[in-house]
Amino acid sequence: MSTLRKTLKKSPFGEASEVQMHNEISQKTEKATHSVSSEDSLQDASTEYVQLQRRIFQSTLIVSALVVVLTAFFVGIYFSMSVLFGALSGMLYLRLLARSIGRLGVQSGSVSKAQLLVPVVLVLAVTRLPHLELLPSLLGFLLYKPSLVIQYLLKP
Amino acid sequence: MDSITTAASVVAAGLAVGLGAIGPGIGQGSAAQGAVEGIARQPEAEGKIRGTLLLSFAFMESLTIYGLVVALVLLFANPFAG
Repeated sequence: MSTLRKTLKKSPFGEASEVQMHNEISQKTEKATHSVSSEDSLQDASTEYVQLQRRIFQSTLIVSALVVVLTAFFVGIYFSMSVLFGALSGMLYLRLLARSIGRLGVQSGSVSKAQLLVPVVLVLAVTRLPHLELLPSLLGFLLYKPSLVIQYLLKP
Repeated sequence: MDSITTAASVVAAGLAVGLGAIGPGIGQGSAAQGAVEGIARQPEAEGKIRGTLLLSFAFMESLTIYGLVVALVLLFANPFAG
């Protein structure tokens, strides 16, 4: 304490200015520490969302492959092709939805509706192409829902 | 396809899309509002908020997709067309 007083007395700026400088330096250090920790937490949050997307796509891929193989064995190859086509468009739809949700609040204030074009194109393609059927394609398209549920049951 | 079936199909397609989009539209708007407010208040929970929003949007938007599919089937693959 006595050494601190000596150093304060020795200071050319006086005691009050020395204390003020100490306070400013400690405030700046606190601010820098706080901003670094908040940047880290934001980066962790975005990484968490990317990992969640990856897990959802993996589970969708697994469920789709399972259903396609099962329908190819038990129903028929054209039914299975339709399910595969629908599952691929379902994954594309989910990817577009996840991307637009990732942009929400950062680049845009609302969720885009571009992903709704995917089922439109799917139904139009199914009605035009001769080997594809409508109901299996819709079944394949909606396979992302059970995979979402499974994913959330495994890791809520 | 006779003219009455065509007219009924077109009207039904419009109603399916229009009425089917009202509920999910309101729900998605309020969900997005809550999510943006939550992210602004608690930026460190952004990942979890976005994940929950993705799940809720996927389930809400499927209601719109059902109406859309019914409308497209009525227009392009009508089962009542003779």
